[in-house]
This record gives sequence, structure tokens and C-alpha cells, in this order.
Amino acid sequence: MNHLVSFETRVTIKRCVFALVGCCLTLMLMSSETCGQAVCLPAPRLLTTTPMGGQVGSTVEVTITGDNIEDADLLSFSHPGITATPKLDDSGEPIANEYVVTIAEDCPLGLHEARVMTRLGLSTSRVFTVGELPEVTQLSPNTTLETAMPLQVDTVCNAKMSNQAVDYYTFQAEEGQRIIVDCAAKGGDSKLNAVLIVADAEGNDLVVERRGGAVDFTVPEAGTYVVKVHDLTFKGGPDYFYRLVLQTAAEGEMVPRLPSTSLVSSFSWPPPGLTDETLIPEVEPNNLQAESQQITLPCDISGSFFPAADVDTFEFTAKKGEVWWIEVASERLGLPTDPSIVVQHVSGDGEEEKLTDVVELSDIGSPVKVSSNGYSYDGPPYNAGSTDSLGKLEIAEDGVHRLQLLDLFGGTRNDPRNVYRLIIRKAAPDFALVGWALHMNLRNGDRNALSKPIALRGGATIPLEVVVVRRDGFDGEIELSMDNLPAGVTATGLKIPAGQSKGIMLVTAAEDAPRGFTSATFIGQAMIDGETVTRPCRLASMAWPVPDAWGEIPSPRLLADVPVSVCGTEFSPLTIAPAEDKVWEVTAGEKLTIPLKLIKRCDFSGANIKLSTYGTGFDGASAFEVSLNEEMAEVVYDLEKLKTAPGEYKAAVYGYAVAKYRDNPDAIAVAEVLLARSQDEAKIAADEAAALAEAVTTATDELKAEAEAAAAQAAERQKAAEAAVAAAEKQVQAATARAQPKDIVDIIVSTPITVRVNPAEEQ
Amino acid sequence: MASFVTAVDHDRFRRLGLSVSFVWLLCACQTFGASPEGPFSFVHDVEPVLTKAGCNGGVCHAKAGGGQNGFQLSLLGFEPEYDYDSVVKDARGRRIFPAAPEQSLLLMKASGQIPHGGGVRLVPDSDGYRLLHAWITQGAPYGDGSEPDLVSVSVVPDRGMVPRGGEQQLTATATYSDGSTRDVTALALYESNAEAMADVSSSGLVHVKDVPGNVAVMVRYQGKVAVFTAAVPLGATVNNLPEARNFIDEHVFANLQEIGIPPSPVCDDATFVRRVSLDIAGRLPTQEETIEFLERTEADKRDQWIEKLLQSPGYADFFANKWTSLLKNRRDDASDITSNFAFHAWIRDSLLANVPYDQLVRELLAATGTVIGNPPVAWYKRVKDPKEQLEDVAQLFLGVRMQCAQCHHHPFERWSQDDYYSLSAFFSQVGRKPTGVRGEDLIFHQRGIATTKNVKSGESLVPAALGDDVGAIPADEDPRLRLADWMSSPDNPFFAKAVVNRYWKHFFKRGLIEPEDDIRDTNPPTNPELLAALEKHFIESGFDLKELVRVITQSQAYQLSAMPNEHNLVDQQNYSRYYPRRMQAEVLFDAIDDLTGAKTTFANLPPGTRAVALPDNSYNKASAFLQVFGRPDSASVCECERVQSSSLAQSLHLINSAEMKSKLAAGDGRAATMATADMPIDVKVTELYLAAFSRKPTAEELQMAVQYLTEPVLDAEGNPLDESQTAQQNLQDLIWALVNTKEFLFNH
Repeated sequence: MNHLVSFETRVTIKRCVFALVGCCLTLMLMSSETCGQAVCLPAPRLLTTTPMGGQVGSTVEVTITGDNIEDADLLSFSHPGITATPKLDDSGEPIANEYVVTIAEDCPLGLHEARVMTRLGLSTSRVFTVGELPEVTQLSPNTTLETAMPLQVDTVCNAKMSNQAVDYYTFQAEEGQRIIVDCAAKGGDSKLNAVLIVADAEGNDLVVERRGGAVDFTVPEAGTYVVKVHDLTFKGGPDYFYRLVLQTAAEGEMVPRLPSTSLVSSFSWPPPGLTDETLIPEVEPNNLQAESQQITLPCDISGSFFPAADVDTFEFTAKKGEVWWIEVASERLGLPTDPSIVVQHVSGDGEEEKLTDVVELSDIGSPVKVSSNGYSYDGPPYNAGSTDSLGKLEIAEDGVHRLQLLDLFGGTRNDPRNVYRLIIRKAAPDFALVGWALHMNLRNGDRNALSKPIALRGGATIPLEVVVVRRDGFDGEIELSMDNLPAGVTATGLKIPAGQSKGIMLVTAAEDAPRGFTSATFIGQAMIDGETVTRPCRLASMAWPVPDAWGEIPSPRLLADVPVSVCGTEFSPLTIAPAEDKVWEVTAGEKLTIPLKLIKRCDFSGANIKLSTYGTGFDGASAFEVSLNEEMAEVVYDLEKLKTAPGEYKAAVYGYAVAKYRDNPDAIAVAEVLLARSQDEAKIAADEAAALAEAVTTATDELKAEAEAAAAQAAERQKAAEAAVAAAEKQVQAATARAQPKDIVDIIVSTPITVRVNPAEEQ
Repeated sequence: MASFVTAVDHDRFRRLGLSVSFVWLLCACQTFGASPEGPFSFVHDVEPVLTKAGCNGGVCHAKAGGGQNGFQLSLLGFEPEYDYDSVVKDARGRRIFPAAPEQSLLLMKASGQIPHGGGVRLVPDSDGYRLLHAWITQGAPYGDGSEPDLVSVSVVPDRGMVPRGGEQQLTATATYSDGSTRDVTALALYESNAEAMADVSSSGLVHVKDVPGNVAVMVRYQGKVAVFTAAVPLGATVNNLPEARNFIDEHVFANLQEIGIPPSPVCDDATFVRRVSLDIAGRLPTQEETIEFLERTEADKRDQWIEKLLQSPGYADFFANKWTSLLKNRRDDASDITSNFAFHAWIRDSLLANVPYDQLVRELLAATGTVIGNPPVAWYKRVKDPKEQLEDVAQLFLGVRMQCAQCHHHPFERWSQDDYYSLSAFFSQVGRKPTGVRGEDLIFHQRGIATTKNVKSGESLVPAALGDDVGAIPADEDPRLRLADWMSSPDNPFFAKAVVNRYWKHFFKRGLIEPEDDIRDTNPPTNPELLAALEKHFIESGFDLKELVRVITQSQAYQLSAMPNEHNLVDQQNYSRYYPRRMQAEVLFDAIDDLTGAKTTFANLPPGTRAVALPDNSYNKASAFLQVFGRPDSASVCECERVQSSSLAQSLHLINSAEMKSKLAAGDGRAATMATADMPIDVKVTELYLAAFSRKPTAEELQMAVQYLTEPVLDAEGNPLDESQTAQQNLQDLIWALVNTKEFLFNH
């Protein structure tokens, strides 16, 4: 079943060269590496939709593009209020990559996720925005003042930026009218760093917004105005799409920004059960110690880092031995802030007043080490930490205390929208989880930051890395599980151990799992104060498949849901599984040997695969090599060395291998059938044309004109049929080329292994 | 004060194998008037002799890293105790020999009796020699500790009128803490701030040359300075002054009247519209703009045009070009593009929105966050070392060069190493966190009390702004904000002065203080009242940069003709006429594009982007034009990095480069378009003159041009070209000729 070869067409020449160098360096070390390899098996990725959204209650025609989506059928959305059917041509046949999307009247406004079901499973997602305003789409290039596209105010324009270009729009407005010009780009999955300019009718810039904000423009005199949009560095292309919105606003009206995708860090906000019931506002002036706002603990305060260099000071009394937890959210609300807190004990007063630091809280660190900017990744390319604050306040002395809160990024910035929420509470131990497709350093110099859908090939296991932000001293273990999976798919969590931050979720498709997809539930469970607490695990993904994070900065974000799919057409290059589906038992301190089955479905570059182990109790085991030419192997765990305590464990072995992947070889046969059909049709057309040409020569004068017309039409048909043959031949060639074996390195993870460690019998 | 060499000396030199002529060459030596008497103080008697003789100059025994041949002195004698040890105690005391003072190595070397790399510094008959000799004879005392301190040095006269070609002897007097004074004329050092106007001998005799204006002579003595300012009048009658339009005119014209330089008349409208467009927006006015301006008759049409330019994006582009270069917006790596574009755009947008200058500098100095979120952070990406930060800030925004004070007391200024490191302390709490972007850090205030150690004294210093106390800065407060507060205080003696002087130079070619970023007591402005008035106006306007440009360009002084009258050709610093200058590289590039109709597209920028709007230095590499005409590489905070001098390469480039040829021959260029345009030939010529010079051709020019344009052109075989080819060829030639005139290349 050699269905497994493909080549990442997006790999750059640079990367190939890089890979060559990397290979040369690693050949001595890595028996399974070869030169010229790509990273990660092909995955379906929806990259653009045009338009990028629609008005609620409307029907819009949407065109899509993406990677490996040429066989896409169903376009699906994360909310059932949006549905799509393929657009049909005049003959009732579906037009490739075009859909008619219906947005229900009751569909919630905001961002939703669009995905397509493809030969390789459900694609990665692209934001699809539902709004209230009517929408238009940019139809032709508008990169000069002369070709500016007229826009009505209170309209959304869906557009794409061209490279090294500025898009021009015009609008009419009355004197004194307040117009908000906003643009959804980065926050809507685009690569565009949008710059917005309002200019006069001659194109002279009047107001510029370059930091991702909106332009708030009060019209000085009635007339035509120009809106210019461009990328900060004038980049462009299909990935640089945007939604430009011109809205009227009343004087003083706070116009909300366009909705934006959530930062990965925001998974840890809000704390479960947070309400606004006890929320109080910050009261200025409170910059100076003498102006401290009096509060009593616990408290829940909303405030703003405004104006520039704002310091908010709060004063409270507390007794020695009290323990409080302080949490601030601002960056996790999507704001460019860095809150910092200092709590000080106050003794004496007036001139004699003395302040003693009690605690200083700055960032919420990432639970696991994030990759540095080095040559290769040395950690995940996702940062689950935040510049917000979360930490413990232990009162060491009775008396008055002051808490100072300021924005470390706010020294010169005057923006009242930079708000925060400050909570001081008694310990409420809890946790928040986020997961992402596991990243492994696949080779030297690998800095891929690819978007990876949970689209399973038969027999494949996709590992997700799950990390936890623990709240208020919660230190216990967390079990991970998934539910509502497609048929034939199982999920096994390798738990987050007590006191640690990372676990693994293994999502496995049976070899015969049928094609299908679901929106799964993904949770973590822990015992807190004697009760089982269940929390969702959010999923994060890259917005784009970035092959080299040095050349392009990746854009990770949270997904709205947890889609899991099975392609039903391809199989994993290699399945590693314990020889028997059972609980492997061993006595503490003894050795456990587990035979492993290797089901190889294509050739590999290299003879061996080096495997390590995931899972508490076993992840300290040494790496071992197994032959890719054998069907069986074994792993031996020395529990004496591992010091694994009695109990039940879940583990998996993992490594990476270079498959000789063939991309969609079935397509050759399909193309050949189409070629044969087109050749048959061409022959018929040729014969017909010949016959009619002959008929012309024998036609009577009266019928000659008619015969000539018929012959000409037949000749046209023949010509078209021959063109169809040429096209079909090209398709065969393309499919054949695509199906040539290509070296692709990817992560291989075994199906879960369950081990029960029994206590050693007492001597 | 002759420094004759005696017969005995001749004999001695012969014995030492030196020719008399060679000795003469070496004898840039000093003699001193006073007879030495004791008891001596090393600090007050010996050290000044060493300084005057140049022994402790930076290239001699005060050279960093060991001085010369193991004999190290402190620079200019700022550390006498160290110097005393060097002279008297180091090298086992072999430099002095009290038993036979003349055999002391110090004297033998200084007088050239034994080979000395620095040559003869003190001839044996000189006062300095005798003083050292006597001091050694006395046992080379340091002093008994009761000597008063040197408090100040003064010069008499401190200002005066000196005629062209005249002389003025200066007398320098040192004042001590016990009230005593000493004539130190012979021991003081003298330096003119404009050698072209006046030079000064080592004995303090000032020789004034032919150029009228103000010139200053700095008098230095043992770390103290005084200044003599000479007004050099031309002495012509000044009776046709234009009517003053604002305070600038009052001060400029008062000065002209005082020194007797009659100004040129106010320029005509055509000259004005071209000049002010180039100076404010870095571009030529379009033909349409010129015609409209010339046809208008309102009395305030010049003010209106200034206003229009100030509101235009061209103003923001042009001045952003100036500032980004000074702020080192350099592309050293391809990945710098985002931060460089963001930083340039931040300056440009701020200028467009007329953000007050103090606010702009504040945003830069105290930048925090990410480059995308807050582009001035990019400055901290490029300028990482706190020492470089303080030096750049001081030079660029305060006009103070602090570099010297890192290692020693500033020789011409009051700045000490403590001043240097306490300025550095403002930047000591700049925190950095790694980001996902290679080479970029998040910048934030790292909580803590800001201090920096004086590397020499080891003392930890809290922030102080050039000697000014800014108060205690709590751990939570970003000290950079306190520095910004200090800068933008109306009383700050440097901040506003530095920028108004810099802008003055932009419009008048010469700063009131030169160089524009070397503001110090010893380098006085040529028109102090004008500088003070500009500073006051700028502060009162709320640090409004557009207003600064407005008030300058509205003045009659700015609008004077560049054509000299019979008197003022020699004037180089009194602004009696507009001093013409070659267009800077980017402006000239755009002007040639405008005239030829060629369209240049720059990498990563949309078509239509002008050279003055280029965001960083990376475009210099690809453009021979920009390099040849001196576009700076954003490596320095000094405006001097921009090369405005002329070169043969520039002439050749304009005359015969492939780039020029392709611009002239551009398919949709002016020559091609005009060749096929249905318009009379004299209209074409007029259009070209308007585009190039913002004026119509004279009758003679018109006749000559028309004649040239109608001449047949032959091909290589000598056959006449067809009409359209001829027309295009001739037009290209005419445009080429216009480009290569000084009238085009210069702003005048």
C-alpha cells in the first residue's frame, strides 16, 4: 500500500540546501537520515477563503485555496449556523474550490473557523467572520489613486494585498462626520501587518495608523477621501488578505475593534467561575503612595493603564500569616501590555514611612521551556506563558500593605483601551490546559512551525503536547482524555504528573478507521480538595505552515474547537504497537520486555529508527534502536533503574523516520482513465470532422454552405477534444511526477502501552 | 618671546649628531616669560608647563595604554597626583636627578639632548625648562598641601571688535581659591573655533583674517576655560534692510548692521518657491504648482505655500529621512526590514501629525514593548550598549559630546567621568526579554534603583543629567522618563538649543553653532541673541517643529537672494544672503526623476516611492547615485556622515552614467512624451525650464533652446533621423544640459 509518498511543495530552495548541509552533518549520527528530505507528511491546509466572511443572514459565494485540498468536498464551519454547498456549474457539476455559503439569521457574530474535508482528512482552519454590515469584495487591482475602489461607509470590503503595493479606496463623507476605519488582518489569520491611512482626495496622507489600531477620523470638510491600506513592509500575495471596514460613529461613542483570534496565552484566562458580581473600578488618582485607593481583601478590580506611565496603587490591611493569591489579566485579553506588581508593607507614617517589599510579581512563565531563536528548535514553538501576573502573597507582618500595579510597556503610551483586571483572592486551586500538535526537532536546523490538523491516516498516532498553568498552589496530577471521536479513533492521555507541567495526548486511528470527522471534547481531570475537577483543554495551532521560522515569524493562536478526522484513503508509513493489546505487568524493580510490532507500509531511508519513551515512570528509559527491516522488535525497561513505583502507567515509544512517500498514486490511474476517455472522444470527434469535411466536397451547391458550417463546427469540436487530450496527458504526467517517492521525515509515535507495576513481594 | 637657539645649544646639538636645520624643525618648542622662583607646587607650576609643552597630549604621554615608552601622564594633567608619581617615583625615580638636575631624564628628553620621539618640547633657555630645573633642584616637591585651588581662568578682553587683518593680544589670568591671581598667558592653550576667520599663536596673539563675522578663541588652562569672542566687522554701510517680518529678522539684521554687511535683497517668487519646496519637502515644485504660485497675487502667498508644504506628507518624508539616519536606522541583516520600516514610519507619522518634539524624544528615550507595538523600541535594538545610548542621546538631542568623559575629564568642557556615568545610569534599568523574532528584544523597565559604576573611581552613581540633580528615582519608576522630563523642562539649557540650531543649519547651511552637535561654553554661537530667541520661541510653541520651520522660512532672512552684492560675498556666517548648496543625494535623485519623468522602483517599496522616503540605508548598496552623492549609511549620530562635498565621480555620473542615460531615455519619460506631444516648441522649452528651475526661460535661453531642438540629428551613417526620433533625441539633450547646470543641482 504505497500511498504514502508526497513532497511538500512549499519547501523552498533554501531549505533544500539547508537540509543538504544538515544531512551531511547528521549522517554520521542519524542512520535514518538522508539528504533532500522534506519535513512532515502532507497535511490538508485551508489557506484562504474569498471572501473571508459574510453578513449575517446572507448567502455568499466563497472560493478557497490551500495545500493538499484539491479533492476537497465538504466545506464545514465551527458553528452550525454557517453551512456550505459546492457551487455548481451550468451543467450541474460542482466547481472545484467554490462554495455557496449560507449564514443563518441567528448565527452568532464574530469569528468562526472554516475547514474542508479532503482526501487527507479535515484541513486546518481559516477564520471566517460573520458581521452585521453589508460586504463587498475587491474585484480588480486598486493600487493607484486613479484606480481607487469606491466604498460606501458602513461596509466591509474583503480584499487581498498585492506585493509592493498600496490599495486605494475612496469614500464620501460629510463635514464633522466621525468615521472609524478598521481593518481585520493579523487577527483574522492574515499575514498582513496592516497600515491604514486616511488621505485627502489628492492622496495626501492625513492620518496614519501603523500599529494595528483603527483610524478615528473626523471629517474636516465634506468631500471625497481616500483610504490607503498596505503592509508594514509592503509585502503582499494571496496570504495577505484583509477586511476593511468603514463605520460611522457618534461623537464619544466607543466603537469596538473588529474581532480577533485569541492568543495562545489566553487559554489560562479567566479563572473558572469568574463573574462580575464583586467587580469594582479602579479610582484615579491613585498614582502616588499617598493617593492609594483603599481596598479590602478579597477584591476584584477593573482598571486601565492610562495615561502614560500610569501607576495604580491600592492599600489594604492584612495580618501576618495570611496567604492571598494575586492574578492580573491584560495581555491575555489581547492587549500589548506587561503588567507588573509589587506589594509592600508600610510601617511608620509621614516622613517616617517605610516601605518593605513583600512580593514582586511579573510574568506568568511558560510551563515548559519555549524554543529559543537558535539554529534548531530546542522547545515547542508555542508559548503558553503570558506577560500577565499570577502569584502568591504571604503576609509576613500585620499592618497596612500597598500594591502597586503598572504596565512595564506603558511608560510613553496613552491608550485607555489598555485595561486590566486585578484579582486578589484566597487560594482557589485550579488549572488551565492547552495542547498543540507535538513538535519534534526532526533534523539539524529544523525550525518548521507547521500548522498540523489532527487528520489521521489509518494506523497513525498523532501526539499532542499538553501543558498546564496551575493556579493558587494546585500541584496534583492531571488525567487527560478526549471524547466524541470519529469511528475507529481512540485517544489516550499520558497524564501530567503531580508537580509537573507537561503531558501527552495520543490520538490513534485504527488501520481500518473509516473516513469521517467530529468536533471532539478534550479535557483534563484532577482531584482538588477531594473533588474531581474537570477543565477543558484548548487546542492551539499555527495560523500558517511556516517551513522556516527564521524567515517568517510564526503566528500561533487558539482554535475555537477540537476537530479530529480520519482520511480513510491513506495509511501511516509505519505503525509501532505493542505485540498484544493488553496490560503489561511487571514487578517493581524487575525488567519488563515488551515485544513491538512494526507495520511498515512504505520504504524508508535508513535501516533503523531510534526510539525513546514518553509517559511518567518510563520516560527516563534510554533510547534504543530498532531495525526498520524487521517486523518485530522489543523494548526492555529496567524498573530498578527507572525506579518506577507500583501503579498503572501509560507510555508510548517515539522517534522519527524518513519515509519514501508517494503522494496520491491513485491519481495516476484516475488520470489515465480520463486520458483514455478523452482520447476516445477525440477520435470520435476526428472521425466526425473528417466525415463532415468529406461531405462538403460532395454537397450540392444549395447544401454546401450548410455542410461547410457543420464541418467547421466539427473541426472546432475536434480541436477542443485534442486540447482535452493534451490536458489529460499533462494530468497524467503531473500525477506520475507527484507520486514519485520523496524523502519526508516525520514523527512516529507508537500506540499506547499500558503497564501495571506490581509491588515486589516482601522478602 | 623669541625662542632662539644659542651657540652653546648649537654645539650641543652637533655633538648629539643633529643638524641645526633639523633642530629648527623640531623646535615647535615653548619658552616662558616668568623666571622661576620657589617654592614650587607640582600642581600649579610644573603641571601647566607639561601641558603647555604638549607632554600630556592624547598622542603623547597621555596616550591610552601606557603613554610613550612607559612614561604615562594623565590627559592634560587632570590627575596631578598620578602625574607626580609618574614623573618623580616611577621607573625607580630615574626621570629626575636632583643632584644634577640638568641630567634628569625629564629635561634631557624634553630638551632633545637625548633622542626624544616627541622632539624638542622645551629648549634649555626657556622659562619652562628653567622652572622644571629649579623644581628638581628643590627636590621635586609636590607641594605642602597649603596651595590654593585653581578656581577659574579669565581672558582679557573677553570680547571685542577686531578689524579684518587686525590683531589682538589676549591676557589669561588664573584665579585661585585664596583670591590670588596669576598671569598665565604664556602657559594657557589657545584655539580658534574658525581658522578661516582667525588664528591664534601659542602666546595668545589673535590674527584676524578677511572674513567678517564672529569668531571665538578658547583659552584653556589646567581644566578651566575662558573664551574671547571677536566681532570682525566688514564696515560697509547698511541702509537697505528689508522690513523685519519676525524676531529672526530683527536679530539677523541687527547683527548685519553691527558688523556692516549689507544683505542681498529678498529673492523673487520663482526662487522662493523652488528653495522652500526643496528645504521643507525635499522636492521641486511641480510645474503646475510653480505656475499657480507665480500667478497668485496675494500678499501672504509665500506664507500660504509654506503652510501647504508643512501640511504635506513630503515634509514628513523629508525630515524623517533626516532623523532616521541620525538615529541609526541601519539594515545589517535582511530580518531588520520590519523594525527599520516600522521605526522610519513612526518618525514619519509623528512628524506628519506634528507630535511635539519633546514628546517624540520621550517616546524614543523611554520606549518599551515590541517593535511592532511600539516602533521606537527599534532604537534599542540597534543601540544596545548603555554607553552608546547616553553618548548618542547627548550628542543628538543635547548637542553635547560626552565620549571623552568616559575615560577622562572632558578637555574643553566641564564634564567629568562622574557626569558621564551618572548620565549612563538613566539607561541602567533597561530590561530585555527575548521575543520570537530573531535579534529583537522586548524592552521594559527592570525594577530597581538605577546606578552605574564609574569604572575609574569604582563609585556607584545614581542618575544625574549633566550635573543636574533629578531627584531620587524609586525602584518602580523608569529613570528614562525622568531624563525625558529633565530634557523637556523649559529651563533645560541644551535640549531646545540643540534642535533649533540643527534646524537652523538645515535651512541656512551653517548652524549658529558649528558643528551643530558640539554645543559648549567654549564654542559660542555666532549670534547668541538669535539662538536664545529661537530657543525661547520653540519652547513657548510647545516644542512645535512645524512652527520652528514656519518661523524660519517666513523670515526675510531666509528669503534673501543667494546672489551676493558687492560686499557680502565674503560673508560665511552672518546670513546676509542665502548660501547655496548642492541638493542632497535623495533630493537630487528625485529631482532628476521628476525632470526626466523616469520612474524608479525601490526594493520592497511600492512604485512611486521617492528616494527621500526610503526607510533605511540598505538602498545605498543598490544605488551608485545615492552613494556617489553621499547618502549617509546611518552609522553615526553626526550629520557629518552625509557627504555634501563635490567630487569628480558626481560630475561623471551626471554627465555620462548609464543611469542618467536610461532616465533620459525612459519610454514613458518626459522626453519621449514631449516629443510626441502636440504643443508648440517654445511651450515645451518653457515647461522644461519650469520643471527644472521653477522659472520660465529668458528670451535668450528660449531662442537657444528652440534652435537646438529644431536642429536635425544624424545617425551613425550620417543620415538624418526621422522627425520623432530627432525630437526625442534633442529633448533628451536639452534635459541633460539642464540637469548639468548649477542652477539645477543647487538649492539657491
